[in-house]
Order: sequence, then C-alpha cells, then structure tokens
Amino acid sequence: MIANRPWLHGFLDLCLLAMLAERADYGYGLAQRLAEAGVADVPGGTLYPALLRLEQQGLALPSWAPSEAGPRRKYYEITDAGRETLAAQAQEWTRFRDGVDMLISTVVPR
Amino acid sequence: MSWPAVFEAELLRLGLQPRRARQLSTETVQQAAEHASAPADIFGPAHLYARHLVSELTVTAPVPMRTTGPVLLRLTGVGKRYRRQNVFHDVSLTVRGGEVAAIVGANGCGKSTLLRICAGLTRPTSGTVERTRRVGLVPQDGGTAGWLTAEEHFRLFGAAAGMARPRAASTGDHLAARLAWRPRRDQRVQQLSGGTRQKLNLVLGELHSPDLLLLDEPYQGFDQGAYLDFWQQVFAWRDAGRAIVVVTHLLHDLANVDHVLDLSS
Repeated sequence: MIANRPWLHGFLDLCLLAMLAERADYGYGLAQRLAEAGVADVPGGTLYPALLRLEQQGLALPSWAPSEAGPRRKYYEITDAGRETLAAQAQEWTRFRDGVDMLISTVVPR
Repeated sequence: MSWPAVFEAELLRLGLQPRRARQLSTETVQQAAEHASAPADIFGPAHLYARHLVSELTVTAPVPMRTTGPVLLRLTGVGKRYRRQNVFHDVSLTVRGGEVAAIVGANGCGKSTLLRICAGLTRPTSGTVERTRRVGLVPQDGGTAGWLTAEEHFRLFGAAAGMARPRAASTGDHLAARLAWRPRRDQRVQQLSGGTRQKLNLVLGELHSPDLLLLDEPYQGFDQGAYLDFWQQVFAWRDAGRAIVVVTHLLHDLANVDHVLDLSS
C-alpha cells in the first residue's frame, strides 16, 4: 500500500516515466508493472492523477487504442521532455538512495 | 445522481471548463473499467475524488517565490482596558502585503476587539496603529440587511466605495462565484442560509479591492467544501500581494499563515 510508503509519492512520477521509456502503456498495465516490480500497489486514485499530470506537463503523450475486450484504452508514450525529466529525476533518486543507504548501512545489517 | 454525474458537477463547481470536466469524467469511468470495477470502488466518493484530482492537477505549476510587500498594518504596544479591566496589553504585530496573520485565543480574550482596532473602528487605550488606507472588514455578524437581495448589497456597498453600479454588481457576482455561490436575483438575504450569508459578508469585504483584509471567523456555517474554498481564496489574495488578518479558533488553519498572534498568552 502507498499509505505506509509516503516517500513513494515523490518518486511515482520517476517510476512511471521509467516504465514508459521502456514501452508505451496504459493505466492498468502500469499499475501491474509497479506491483510486479515490488514497488507498491498504487491505488487508482493516486495513479491516474499522476498520469494526467505527466500529460499536462507534456512529459507523456496519450493516444487511444481499442482493447480486445472492454473499453478503449488510453496509452501513454514518453516525450523528449519526459526523457529529460527522467534523466534528471533518476540522478536525484540515486543521490537520495545512496544517502539513505549510507545512513542505515552502519546500523542495520544486511 | 450517478457517480460520473456527481463527479462532473463537482469538477464544474471547482471551476473547470465544461468540456474538460466532461472529458475527465468519461476518462475516469474508463479507467475504472480497466480494473473491471465501478468508479466508486476504485476512486471512492465522486465529489471527494473530484477535489483530489483538481488539487493534484493544480499543484504542478512551480511555486513562485513569494515576496512580501510594504507594511500594510503595524500595531505597536497596543492595549485595551475596559472598565478598569485589561482585555489585552502590549500587543505588537506587523503585516506586510503578501502575508497572512492569524489572531487566535480563547473566547472573550478580545480577538474581535483587536480586529476592530485594526480596522480603526475602536480606539485602543494604549499603543499606536498604522494602517494602509484601503481596508476591508468582514465582521462576524455582518452589517447586512435582511430585506435586500445580494445584488442590492453589492450596489449599496459599491456606491459607498465610489464604484459604478453595474461594475459593483458584476464584481460581486464574480467574487461570489469564486466561493462557489451564484446569488439569485429574487432572493432576499434573510432567506439565505448562514453559510451563504457569510459568503455575502466576504464578498462585501472584498468588493472595493482593499489592500488589507480583516476577517472575523468568516466561515461560521460553511460546509467542508466552502471552508476549503475560503482558504484557497485567502491564499489567492495573499499571492496577489494583499495583507490578510484572520481571527480564528481552528488551530489546523495555522500551518500556512505567516504570523500567529495568541491573545490568551
């Protein structure tokens, strides 16, 4: 659950951009990939606003595609601006992760 | 009303364009369908998700660096005695344009009296008050007349501030809309609910676009939505460079204000 991982909110955009850089996808597909990666079960009320935000900022480009069963799907494709943001945020993440690693590694055995 | 209809209506109420509201409503239903679920199961109550979505979509703009402007209100060593009783003494407060100050304290500690002193309606026993010329005051029990309509109030208060009649009326309507209220032409103030009457007070206080706004617990009778609208409005005023002083007893309001003056201490 996202509720007990408050820090995820700050890095959800990064995760979404990374997945979209790999391949275009739609909301439910992204939710499944996040869960499979073990990052989090992101509720729809968090996921879809984040996707709309990426769209609004021009970081992801939506397009509609039919699905075999059920309603059509809104697929998102990463834009050039999205790739730039991804690179910047990935760097930030690495710094953050290394910092936290350093703080905990001396007191918590792996 | 169905979930999508409630959702769309709330988006409209929050100020989204009709086309955008319709589009978001359609998409949200489709998103729920991706999970083979009803919207309520994925997103919860429609009106709450609408507010959540709008706030998620509006925080993306980078927060502009807030700069504060000139001093619009300065109290120095202000005290008030009433029948040989000290209500409060030695109160000092400086509020600049672009700042929000909150006056807090227990009942009867003189919060409303201090606000009237800020407005120049009550004379302090000691100390000095300097203030800008254009001041708007929203008292707790506003000076409204029950037999007049909202529009008549706009014209009356506008005339007092030297505004042309049509301009006063249209400004009033515009300000009311920001508080999610559409005044009806045929409705007298005595027919309005307490919360709506409070909105009228707020509109009247702002009608002549004062530089300093003094608000005395201006949300009595507001429901949760109107209460949030109210604070959004306060921060919009602040970002437009105005100074705001709010009397409040709700402590969770204080997270985003610049100065807190506790009269009971």
